[in-house]
Amino acid sequence: MSLLAVHEVTKRFGGLTAVDSVSFDVHEGEIKALIGPNGAGKSTLFNVLTAYERPDEGRVEFDGKSLVGMKPHRIVALGVARTFQNTQLFEAMTALENVLVGLHTRSRAGLLSAALYLPWTLIEEKRLREEAMRLLRLLGLEDHAETPAADLPHGLRRLLEIARALATGPRLMLLDEPAAGLNTTETQALANALFRVRDNGVTLVVVEHDMGLVMEVSDEIVVLNEGRKIAEGPPRLIQKDPAVIEAYLGEPVDD
Amino acid sequence: MRSSGYKRFVWWLVASVAVMCVPFLTDNGFMLKILAKDVGTNALVVLGLALLFGYGGQVSLGHAAFIGIGAYTSALVTMRFELPWLAGVAAAALVSAAGGALLALPSLRLRGHYLAMATLGFGEIMHIVFREATPLTGGFDGLRGIPSVAIGGFVFKSPESIYWLVWGIVLVALLLAYNVVALRPGRAMRALHGSELGSQACGVDTVRVKVQVFVVSAALAGIAGSLYAHVARFISPEIFTLHRSVILLSMAVLGGTSSLAGPIVAAVGLSILKYVDSFVPGMPDAASTFLQDWELDIYGLTIIVVMLFAPGGIGGAFRSLRQRFRKKAAPDPEGEGVSAA
Repeated sequence: MSLLAVHEVTKRFGGLTAVDSVSFDVHEGEIKALIGPNGAGKSTLFNVLTAYERPDEGRVEFDGKSLVGMKPHRIVALGVARTFQNTQLFEAMTALENVLVGLHTRSRAGLLSAALYLPWTLIEEKRLREEAMRLLRLLGLEDHAETPAADLPHGLRRLLEIARALATGPRLMLLDEPAAGLNTTETQALANALFRVRDNGVTLVVVEHDMGLVMEVSDEIVVLNEGRKIAEGPPRLIQKDPAVIEAYLGEPVDD
Repeated sequence: MRSSGYKRFVWWLVASVAVMCVPFLTDNGFMLKILAKDVGTNALVVLGLALLFGYGGQVSLGHAAFIGIGAYTSALVTMRFELPWLAGVAAAALVSAAGGALLALPSLRLRGHYLAMATLGFGEIMHIVFREATPLTGGFDGLRGIPSVAIGGFVFKSPESIYWLVWGIVLVALLLAYNVVALRPGRAMRALHGSELGSQACGVDTVRVKVQVFVVSAALAGIAGSLYAHVARFISPEIFTLHRSVILLSMAVLGGTSSLAGPIVAAVGLSILKYVDSFVPGMPDAASTFLQDWELDIYGLTIIVVMLFAPGGIGGAFRSLRQRFRKKAAPDPEGEGVSAA
């Protein structure tokens, strides 16, 4: 069974059909890329998948449960995490604290128990800090644990947002243009990070412009154009697909 | 982790002992009463505003209304129903908290300036209610003869006992607030301040956090209102004005974001200004009159200067001092939180 099932999703804004009856499946353990030229409907579809937008028609099911109409913070508890095209870090907080917020749904200290500093809240806090440090190490950020997010270079900010998303304990992570604004070295670090996240048992959906990254990391690609799905398959086949070449690539990509 | 919590507790203990020793250093009862009734209650309200504004990033220009709600509620409960003060202060906290939940509603849709306007409107409406609901509030004339604070058989009459009561409550509230901001709920508040979208993506229920922080800060203001009412023993609408709300918020701003001690220091410093003549013996009349006449301008100027040269406020200044000190003491590349692991 697929982990994420997208079934004939349609989203309209006034007279414009941004996403037009798109269906695809994401299977456990794979990296799926969502590509398409500007205005193809990628961002809208991404927002529908992460419950920030409600589709006009169609179903989105995660592990058999419908995500349609859920509050964005609720789907996190189900095991769906996301990152943003414009990173939404907590700038004044350190890298470690950012990841600690990511652990929010996996901890329970509330106002009262925290105010009273109950012994179990301290045990929980110790466990959270160890887990947050483990995640920072996983993404190579351990030397920056005490650095405020605002002071991190762009490439590390992307990785921190992934670490924070990973902290929510997701089974599925959706990334919105993670390579935007990164240089080649940083993009390579990002690719390695994506593999490490996948090897931790997380399924990935990546909306991306950077073709090099998409071809390198993805197992499967869905191509959108003018709101419709025009192709789906492994990178090698997508590169040779005439419809894709015409709509998007312009010319075949070299291997 | 344990070490940083321990350090915080030691600091709190030292500060508490110092604060609680003040009555031994002076026999000026008038001053002690001001330090309790005006300075201490302001500190309690500003502590709540520090959580609301400095941690949660939500603005309120209506907090004087919560002090008023607490003050009138407590006065009515003890005068009309002749219940003890503890019932009065509990009712004050509850009714103010309910008001806080109500004021949290616009914050779910409005941000920044728009939220400031909505809370300002709430404060003005409550001010008019205090003035016009004469059967309950005594209207313009206010309420007189409010009973003194009493717990069990003990009546808080002497300036020393009042001082210890008010500051005891402020210090306990400070300790509880320290614990909250050090752990998960405090991080959720700061996350809300940092990025609402980001908080949701971390599974933080932003609606819940906003309501919580409004409720807590309103409840603290309500308790402050009850203390004020039963120490001053007289309240009237002119004590709970927009002017008061603005000054309270500016204390929180001056104190700095993500800080609790900073706002309390700011609250004490700015609250004392009005009574500077009784605190600095031998101060020339001309100087104290000048300070009192220009009180508001001094507030305004201080805030402008602080925002220009030390945007972190008093709390930010504390932090950079601590960092400088730590660097000198031990060139340890690891931060405090990590060392416990």
